[in-house]
Amino acid sequence: MTLVIGFLIGCAFGAILYLGGASSYRRILGTLLLKDMWIIKLMMTAIGVGTLGIYLLDLGNLANLSIKPAYVWGVVAGGAIFGIGWALSGYCPGTCVVGSSEGKTDAIFTLVGALVGAFLFALAYPVLEETVLAPANIGSISLESVLGVQGIWIAAPFSALLIFLAFFVLKDRYD
Amino acid sequence: MKDAIISWKAAGIALGLLLVVATYLVKPLGVSTQFVVSDAVVAHKVAPEFAENNQYLAKYGEKEDWGVGYGWMLVFGMLVGGGITGRLFANKQPEADKGSMPSLWKEQFGPSKLKRNMASFGGGILLLFGARLAGGCTSGHMISGISQLAISSFIFGAVTFAVAIATAKFLYRKRGV
Repeated sequence: MTLVIGFLIGCAFGAILYLGGASSYRRILGTLLLKDMWIIKLMMTAIGVGTLGIYLLDLGNLANLSIKPAYVWGVVAGGAIFGIGWALSGYCPGTCVVGSSEGKTDAIFTLVGALVGAFLFALAYPVLEETVLAPANIGSISLESVLGVQGIWIAAPFSALLIFLAFFVLKDRYD
Repeated sequence: MKDAIISWKAAGIALGLLLVVATYLVKPLGVSTQFVVSDAVVAHKVAPEFAENNQYLAKYGEKEDWGVGYGWMLVFGMLVGGGITGRLFANKQPEADKGSMPSLWKEQFGPSKLKRNMASFGGGILLLFGARLAGGCTSGHMISGISQLAISSFIFGAVTFAVAIATAKFLYRKRGV
């Protein structure tokens, strides 16, 4: 049953990314060049809705949270490497799957590269584990646990801020 | 550039709601782990000894963990869902979003398909190496992680955007953007 749920959620995820233009190079690079704010506004709206919804669920203990550990060096180094790959390919791991489904060859090359990248990481893992991942791990913490207040009190204003920024503040800029 | 099949507002709200549903039913959305799972599945078939001896691949080598699990079906679903809507709405997709040779790229780097594909391939390697090092990607870290107010995801989001913006500005520096 979980497999079917996963498949259906994935179908919806892929459809939303395609319909919303998230698998488009011009949209991604437009945002990264700070010209076309489409993608960042889409993401901020999703996070705004998601944060509020997740912490409303959490009020009733209905949210299956999965907070990633903050091993600071790995997250910073990984984020930097990811950022270069993102700007270079114009895809992220999810959108390269969707782009591939559209038959875009650059997305398929990104997808194959991603499989190679994951394999290279597996090869490098023993060394990275000791040097980058294990030190400076401050655990699976969230703003909720750091600030020590019920999550919804942070989630509600945070969501409102993101939605406000996306809907009213961020504007496209063209020369 | 206002055109797309649905607006960013509609897509953003739908994606946020999907994340909430996923978090309620199973767990938040994530994609990048499944690239390792796919590698692990192949490795366990082709070279089982190597896969068992690799600390990282072996983690995804447990019977209940590897192969077609929830997360893998989700990514497979993305391929199907994207593919089906892609066929159904192909005539509504803006011309600028079609094809494998983005006009922005072509203006800057020329019409060579090889160049574009090699950049995509190299970018793909960096994407997954980075995502596995950081523990997630745009969906798992940025969208799902920040929605859970995770400290690691705020760090990932800030670093990723800063570096990606700098890289994009560098790639397109001749345009004076």
